[in-house]
Amino acid sequence: MSDHVFIARKQELPLKGENTSLFLQVIISIAVFIFAITLSGVLSVDSVVNSWNKSILGSLTVQIIPVNDINKEKARAETLVYEEKAVEFLKSVNGVTRVSALSDEQLNELLRPWLGDGIDISELPAPRIIDVRISPDAEFDFAQLAKDLAAASPQASLDNHKLWLNKLIAFADGLNLIASTILILISAITSGAIFYTTQMSLGLHRQIIEILHVIGAKDAYIAQQYARRMAFLGLTGGIIGLFFAVPAIFFIGNLALAIEGGIISEANLSVGSWIMILSLPLFSMLIAMLTAYYTVKKTLKKML
Amino acid sequence: MSDNDNIIEMNNVGIRYDQGPEILSDIKLALPRGSFHFLTGQSGAGKTSLLSLMYLAQRPSRGRISVFNHNLSFANRDQLASLRRRIGVVFQDFRLIEHLSAFDNVALPLRVSGMDEKEIRKRVTELLTWVELDAHMHDKTSTLSGGEKQRVAIARAVINRPDLLLADEPTGNVDNIIAGKLMKLFVELNKLGTTVVIATHSDKIINDFAYPRLHLQNRGLHIYYPSDTSALGGFHV
Repeated sequence: MSDHVFIARKQELPLKGENTSLFLQVIISIAVFIFAITLSGVLSVDSVVNSWNKSILGSLTVQIIPVNDINKEKARAETLVYEEKAVEFLKSVNGVTRVSALSDEQLNELLRPWLGDGIDISELPAPRIIDVRISPDAEFDFAQLAKDLAAASPQASLDNHKLWLNKLIAFADGLNLIASTILILISAITSGAIFYTTQMSLGLHRQIIEILHVIGAKDAYIAQQYARRMAFLGLTGGIIGLFFAVPAIFFIGNLALAIEGGIISEANLSVGSWIMILSLPLFSMLIAMLTAYYTVKKTLKKML
Repeated sequence: MSDNDNIIEMNNVGIRYDQGPEILSDIKLALPRGSFHFLTGQSGAGKTSLLSLMYLAQRPSRGRISVFNHNLSFANRDQLASLRRRIGVVFQDFRLIEHLSAFDNVALPLRVSGMDEKEIRKRVTELLTWVELDAHMHDKTSTLSGGEKQRVAIARAVINRPDLLLADEPTGNVDNIIAGKLMKLFVELNKLGTTVVIATHSDKIINDFAYPRLHLQNRGLHIYYPSDTSALGGFHV
């Protein structure tokens, strides 16, 4: 007798033809789709915050509040003097690596998104800006520095970006918390669906399970058959979900990049993030397999 | 006789379903290793319940049962499974897995115990040939006749050479020639050391084979020996 006759060994539990298989595959696909999109969102927000953090870690901004005088030219000249004094003071501070006062053209460029073309900064009571680069290793007492700066140039005020960055980080943390809740909910719903369909299936195949028990099958033997089947559904469902999620992630990324102002221009996913997203089918396989295995073990314990 | 020579021991065993009356009461039984018994009684006397206690499908409502010298009160699920592997059972309704072939049904006990597939093929093919089912080896059991299913069920029960063989009306669906052949198989297994209990209504089989009879009556168990015409004191101790 040829060997191939024996190769196609059928599983004792006919799980392959169950109606719930397609339902579970669809549930897992949708779960992985939402999971992938949400995870990419979390990872992007993290990458944006990191990029902001990195870009401002070595910098300070000093504002020179314009002098208030009815004579505009006199006010501008005095403001420029204060700017000059502030620049001189900042250059003398240890740890400061570069001090550059923004020119009128640079200030015009900064204000263009809000005020449009054709503005003349010299005509506006807008503050002057000094960009200060500091050594990343330098330790500053920012409160003392602000005080010394105000003494050297009374119209100057120091902004170390911490305040607005902290608000942004708090906002990003809030987004991450919501996203994490969604991820937990999706995992719980998927596990719940697997739990109930597995229990339903155990009820459906009760007679076969009784036969297996009578001939000496341990619970693990039965649980492994469910685990194998659910692993397959978890993996294929995950791949299908990911197949739709990846183009969606690119699409959302492009929409984000189209926002003017470059606020989220750094929202690119790293290689590590992509590996994490692309490995989601393995994750769904593992969740499905373990849920099924322990559901079967737990349910069978109630039988003799 | 020492305790170790008994395959099954029951002491004051009773069984009831839900809150109903006891189906069996105060059963006291010791089945010596290598013995052969028929189990008789009218329909509803509790034969199937007694057999299900023996093949560990349910626990008694009261009393103590030992199987292969293991007190079942203290056996965990994995230990019960290991004990069941030493018991072959033939059900009246066969209880085959319908979507599997005759081969796969017979191979089940060996696969469950983790035997090598090559050895499984050899053993199952041999046995199915012996019960004249080699031509139907790869047919789904749902396509087999009642007699053929019964032979598959018997082959599955004996494939792993069990220490204890329990059969519920094993010759009920086969002709006399096959019935004789199957009984010969049980006798041969018994000679090799398997303890056998066969539930039957067939007077012919009981008369043809001179083995003791466990008779269920009035919720109790009575033992008759071949030469007896009446119960011997009610219980076998």
